[in-house]
Amino acid sequence: MSSQRGLFKTSVMRKNVMAVTGLFIAFFLVIHLAGNLILIIPDSWFPIEFWGGVANQHDMYNAYSHFLVHFWPISIVAWLLYAAIIIHAFDALLITLRNRKANADDKYIKKDTSTSTWYSRNMGILGSIIGIFIVIHMGQFWLKYKVLGTEPDLYDLVVATFKQGWVIILYLIGIISLGFHLVHGVESAHRSLGVHQKPCIKVLKYIAMCFGIVMAVLYAIIPIIIYFK
Amino acid sequence: MKFTLKIWRQESPKAKGKLETFNLTDVSEDMSFLEMLDMLNEQLVTEGKRVVEFDHDCREGICGQCSLVINGQAHGHNKHYTTCQTHMRSFKDGDTLFIEPFRAKPFPIIRDLKVDRSSLDKIIQAGGYISAFTGMAPEANTINIHHEVSESAFDSAACIGCGACVATCKNSSAALFMSAKVAHLAKLPQGQVERQERVIWMVNEHDEQGFGSCTHTGACAMVCPQEVQLIDIAHMNFEYNRAMAKTM
Amino acid sequence: MALDAKIPEGPLKDKWQNYLDSKNIINPANRKKIDVIVVGSGLSGGGAAATLAELGYNVKNFYFQDSARRAHSVAAQGGVNAAKNYRNDGDSIYRMFYDTIKGGDYRSREANVYRMAQLSVDLIDHMNAQGVPFAREYNGYLSNRSFGGVLVSRTFYARGQTGQQLLLATYQAIMKQVKAGNLTEYKRHEVLDFVMVDGKMRGVIARNLVTGEIERHSAHAVVLGTGGFGKIFYLSTLAMNSNVSATWRAHKKGAFFANPSWTQIHPTALPQAGEHQSKLTLMSESLRNDGRIWVPKKKNDPRKPGDIPQEERDYYLERRYPAFGNLVPRDVASRAAKERMDAGYGVGALKNAVYLDFKTAIEKHGKATIKERYGNLFTMYKKITGIDAYKEPMKISPAAHFSMGGLWVDYELGTTIPGLYAVGEANFADHGANRLGANSLLQASVDGNFVLPNTISNYLSNDISTGPISTDLPEFEKAEKEVKEQIDKLLSIDGKTPVDQIHRKLGKILFKEVAMSRNEKGLKWAIEEIKKLRQEFWSDVAVTGDAKGVNSELEKAGRLADYLEIAELMAIDALDRKESCGAHFREEYQTEDGEAVRDDKNYMYSAAWEWKGDHKWDLHKEALKYENIEVKTRSYK
Repeated sequence: MSSQRGLFKTSVMRKNVMAVTGLFIAFFLVIHLAGNLILIIPDSWFPIEFWGGVANQHDMYNAYSHFLVHFWPISIVAWLLYAAIIIHAFDALLITLRNRKANADDKYIKKDTSTSTWYSRNMGILGSIIGIFIVIHMGQFWLKYKVLGTEPDLYDLVVATFKQGWVIILYLIGIISLGFHLVHGVESAHRSLGVHQKPCIKVLKYIAMCFGIVMAVLYAIIPIIIYFK
Repeated sequence: MKFTLKIWRQESPKAKGKLETFNLTDVSEDMSFLEMLDMLNEQLVTEGKRVVEFDHDCREGICGQCSLVINGQAHGHNKHYTTCQTHMRSFKDGDTLFIEPFRAKPFPIIRDLKVDRSSLDKIIQAGGYISAFTGMAPEANTINIHHEVSESAFDSAACIGCGACVATCKNSSAALFMSAKVAHLAKLPQGQVERQERVIWMVNEHDEQGFGSCTHTGACAMVCPQEVQLIDIAHMNFEYNRAMAKTM
Repeated sequence: MALDAKIPEGPLKDKWQNYLDSKNIINPANRKKIDVIVVGSGLSGGGAAATLAELGYNVKNFYFQDSARRAHSVAAQGGVNAAKNYRNDGDSIYRMFYDTIKGGDYRSREANVYRMAQLSVDLIDHMNAQGVPFAREYNGYLSNRSFGGVLVSRTFYARGQTGQQLLLATYQAIMKQVKAGNLTEYKRHEVLDFVMVDGKMRGVIARNLVTGEIERHSAHAVVLGTGGFGKIFYLSTLAMNSNVSATWRAHKKGAFFANPSWTQIHPTALPQAGEHQSKLTLMSESLRNDGRIWVPKKKNDPRKPGDIPQEERDYYLERRYPAFGNLVPRDVASRAAKERMDAGYGVGALKNAVYLDFKTAIEKHGKATIKERYGNLFTMYKKITGIDAYKEPMKISPAAHFSMGGLWVDYELGTTIPGLYAVGEANFADHGANRLGANSLLQASVDGNFVLPNTISNYLSNDISTGPISTDLPEFEKAEKEVKEQIDKLLSIDGKTPVDQIHRKLGKILFKEVAMSRNEKGLKWAIEEIKKLRQEFWSDVAVTGDAKGVNSELEKAGRLADYLEIAELMAIDALDRKESCGAHFREEYQTEDGEAVRDDKNYMYSAAWEWKGDHKWDLHKEALKYENIEVKTRSYK
């Protein structure tokens, strides 16, 4: 038995790649969120004498950031993440081009789209918004803190950034797009990978829905709380 | 009832098509959609004009030959109906109806509303069968199949090959069509021997024919006249990944 | 010409084996050199095409649909019979043979019917091996149900879509052979004429329905699996494009047509709702397993069915036929419904229906069980009528369904033209004057998969050194010219009446006088009306468009032209048979309580008609000999 097409060229394989990279990014989002939740935990919640005497939000957050940058296994994961994002985007582009080509030259003059959700049809647009958002987001923090090292105190940088109104709006757009992207993406990824047992498929939809909503809400409240603090 | 019909007219596969408008009166609400088109065609004949060509045969929802996208939905707005089962009573008097062919690159238009769906046959040719030649079969009851397994295989096997899934898919993917056959045969013990080759060959042919990738919008399962489930696509993906893992 | 049915020697149960043991076979290397044209892709034609290709013949498969999976076998709902005796209810090959002969009112050929019953056992194995998801019991073994006209459960089924599932298995077998290069498909092609060279069938003239081209195709033999012609009634359970053209044009080339008037009128179709209607959807006979048929005892009862109490309902089948009740054969059930409706007890707006009620069954087995058995039929009913049959009874009505008549064939399924074979509904062989439910899928599949591939080699063995047949022969040229002339003629009439309007008129004439109940006066009237209508057709039909490319009006006109010819033969055949048998009920020949009276002394034969040109026919009689069954009056009381 031999496959006529290259291993990663069939429609199903391409979707596998989307699914694996997508789920990896989604997993990262959980970790990323966990760390950032420090930003909204009040000082009073930190126990005294915890972690070498640190006892406030500012120090805790900076310690956490320092750990991420200087603990070497993390950088492997980080590079994997960058690769995942790039592959996810590039693969999405290839799939989209292919799918466009599969469409007839004459488009439907009247198209009723009530048979599917708008976000499931517009994953590409949502993904592009998220892509732009990631670039801005990394320019604001990753570039300044990790690459250039111009802003040694990350906590101050974060608070200063989120005190600007336009940043909040930009973040809300990015995060809401992310939420919808996750709701469809997490479900679709599992289906792409072949989860097809009836009980799993039944709960999958709700898990994906909850995941998307919870991630979006938690990610959104961080900048909002900082802005109003 | 009265209707304004905007029907896609196209002389040949390469020709430029456009909508043509017809007004039809005295339509009975008991008419099926295709009987309404019959009525239009009879009028066109008496006027000496060429009729609107459309595909149809059994008119009871099982042969899969009728197609049409009515007001932007494959087989019309009734969920899980074929066009031939759609009756005029489900439209409002005075409605404007847009009638277009199934559109997808692998479904070239032959004339007007008729399209060529041979690409679906090609997918089946690639592996959508069990190679049991006449005379080879063992006694039927030696193959014991659980009731639920057989019923589940039937759910997938019910596909009528109409192509509405492709027509409605924003990616023009035939994943639902293909997966229905993969799932039907993978669920049954008879289908186990060729299980791996089948799915790989079919997926390859699906792509070869120029269909797009599935992005799980679920629109296909919403219009499927036989209610083939979206879960079959996941099942096919599982079969494909399993086959790839086994052959590596 | 004397008809030779070529029935093999030996006792009934050994005939087929004796035949197989002594027939000519062909070396696999030589099969590749032999071309076979198969027309039709259903269970008979498609089964033959796939099996012949598996054997290594070079097969060319013609059909008018856009895919082999759409042949009208797809629409058969209820099931397929087989004498497996899985239920231990006393079934056997002989009993199945007996039921089929009796069901056909002693008008079918013993040897053929027995062979069909024998091979039914293999057929279920074959279809099961191909992955047909037959219904299963909870213990995992195959499930069965009963059908009309029998007292055992021998019907295998796949919900209400058995025909679809068997056809898809056949279609998949065809697809495999296409890929293997043994079979070439000619989809959207309509066979319009046949080419004979030196008295043998050597090819066809076909119209490519996409390009409009007239094409010549040659072969060493031609197999017709083109189905029945019930669509002649316009309103029927058949697909819109089902037609008689291939068999009829073969008839005009010399193939005898047998028992053309024997049309089965199915008792459980949906009633006509209006003049515009194009199709009467069938509701499977299997519904009669659990459904009870009734009409109100009071004429024109205005009450809703649910409001009519039990004692005011007339369960007329149970009343008249206590032994078989709702499961009497189709002809009996249809006639009984017609009797009630003619007497003024019909229900529905046009008073053209009877009730089929599931209330008792739902109370007994629960809605879930009924849903599992007939779910898709109930859904289909709701889609078409808008009515939920779990809550109120279905309205059903008789509709033209199956052609027992067809091309006359011998035991080898060969017609009277050497090299031309007919399989499935296109031939006349196995059902006598009435077909039993679930025997249609069986006959088609058995003919296509098991019989024809074996018998055709007996003929083709003479052709191993013939070499390819040239399509440049003058015979091809002549046939092509005739086809083109007919098309030109149809396009040049330039009349005023659309094809369908004339077809509807033909249907009305036939349904009135050449359907469930016939009489001499009516048949003579019908013959005259058909002749008049034929004239109207050839002088006033309107066919728009041209011969280039797709033209569905031209296709329909060509088919109607043939219907208008066979319609006359149907009436002539019905007029000639002065007895009542099976679906052929002559009002002059009935008992006082309206049961059919057969005349075995004078009419125990199959009527094979030979075309003598210009709508003249000669009758040839194939006497039927019953050596293994006692001929009795058919009774379901």
